[in-house]
Amino acid sequence: MLRVSGLSVAYGGLRALDGISLEVREGEFVTIVGPNGAGKTTLLKAVSGTVAATAGRIEYQDRAIGRLPASARAGLGIAHVPEGRKVFPSLTVLENLEMGSYRAAARAGRRQTLEETFVLFPILAQRRAQLAGSLSGGEQQMLAIGRGFMARPDLLLLDEPSQGLGPRIVEQIFATIAEIRRRRRLTILLVEQRVVEALELCDRGYVLETGRVVLEGARATLLGDPRVQRAYLG
Amino acid sequence: MAVAELLQYVVTGLLVGGVYALMSIGLALIFGVMRVVNFAQGDFMMLGMYLTYYLAVAWHTDPLLGAIVVIILTLGLSLIITNVTTMVLSPMPRGIKTAYATRAFALGAVLVNEARAYAFLMALLLAAVVYAFLTRTDLGKALRAAADDPEAAAYQAIDVRRMHALAFAIGIALVAAAGGLLATYHPIEPTVAVNFIVLMFVAVVLGGLGSVPGAFAGGILIGLVQSLTLLVLPFQLQNVGVFIAFLLVLYLRPQGLFGRRLRSV
Repeated sequence: MLRVSGLSVAYGGLRALDGISLEVREGEFVTIVGPNGAGKTTLLKAVSGTVAATAGRIEYQDRAIGRLPASARAGLGIAHVPEGRKVFPSLTVLENLEMGSYRAAARAGRRQTLEETFVLFPILAQRRAQLAGSLSGGEQQMLAIGRGFMARPDLLLLDEPSQGLGPRIVEQIFATIAEIRRRRRLTILLVEQRVVEALELCDRGYVLETGRVVLEGARATLLGDPRVQRAYLG
Repeated sequence: MAVAELLQYVVTGLLVGGVYALMSIGLALIFGVMRVVNFAQGDFMMLGMYLTYYLAVAWHTDPLLGAIVVIILTLGLSLIITNVTTMVLSPMPRGIKTAYATRAFALGAVLVNEARAYAFLMALLLAAVVYAFLTRTDLGKALRAAADDPEAAAYQAIDVRRMHALAFAIGIALVAAAGGLLATYHPIEPTVAVNFIVLMFVAVVLGGLGSVPGAFAGGILIGLVQSLTLLVLPFQLQNVGVFIAFLLVLYLRPQGLFGRRLRSV
């Protein structure tokens, strides 16, 4: 579904990604973990097109997408739920969700997807007429994920959905992500700092450090790896 | 002072304010989406006035209808029109003579100039159409989404560059239409832009930068304040009241009437 090879990104003279290669197969749930500044967010942005790659190749559904603008990549079914949620604050909750299904392939099924979204996030149904900017952090995160779900994506990119949220809401959000995956056989690429929760959800994972993949493997392998245990699981 | 006199000034201010509101919406839309202050906005208004004028002179098109024609022209040809501004026009002020320019309705003791009343209604109608477009259509919502957060908009398959072009075209079309409406009662001269661009900026800042309903309210408010200033100050100083109101609002509510405070993450 997604194949990244030799991907490098530099900001100014600084290397954020240094020859990253990774693969996400159809239907797979892949997690990328790693410390702050490892390049996780940059990687997702390079895939969805809001950060330019300096080298490397990005293939999505066997098609090179590295030169497409971000909006065109979204049009192909890549939904990016960005770090910091980035809901549209002056739009209502409903309008935010409608914008999720802006792409032609999702627009036709909007009403049905909307119903499904409201089942996944009942709070959004209650708040539908409210401005997104007035929601709490947890609600905004649910809206951001709901907006991504509205795109009926083939590939869902989730960037730190737990950021800045309390443990109970985080638990709820992770449960909903698992539920989304059960309902739609979506392919998911999740970036997280909460290593344990993220690794437990995934099929496979990558550990990123200073712009390089330092470790990769199936869930059990990573959870059992002594380096992962020492560095992240304590 | 008689109540009727006060009412007369309020009504006049309101009518003029409607046209200000329409031109300010254009500026707010462009700023909101592109984060660019379009200093040429006043010139597009001037252009709208001249287009309406020539339509009226050459084909005897009613200026109210001319304003609509101007919208269609500018929407389609906003880029070409940028180049047409180099047109050489004589500095002599012109005016369109219509029967209704000198007529007035009497509402009790208040006299309502017909040209201003029609221009006001047309401005209101156009503003309502824009509002409906922004709140009822996918394209309008995408425009607002692109204004809110261009990066997130791109993630929703919204082509932000296309939204910029669209906002610019609509913004220019609106201000040109406002110019056309203004032409029904305001003298038309090449330097007319200067007087109005300042008012548009004040209206947009008053309303909260980039807020379309805010710019509308700001435009109405400026019309009112301008008109009421004439009660105490001579005509040449009518914008003094506008600037006093401007400073007052900024002091009491720095984010503008409809503006949001900066979001906390």
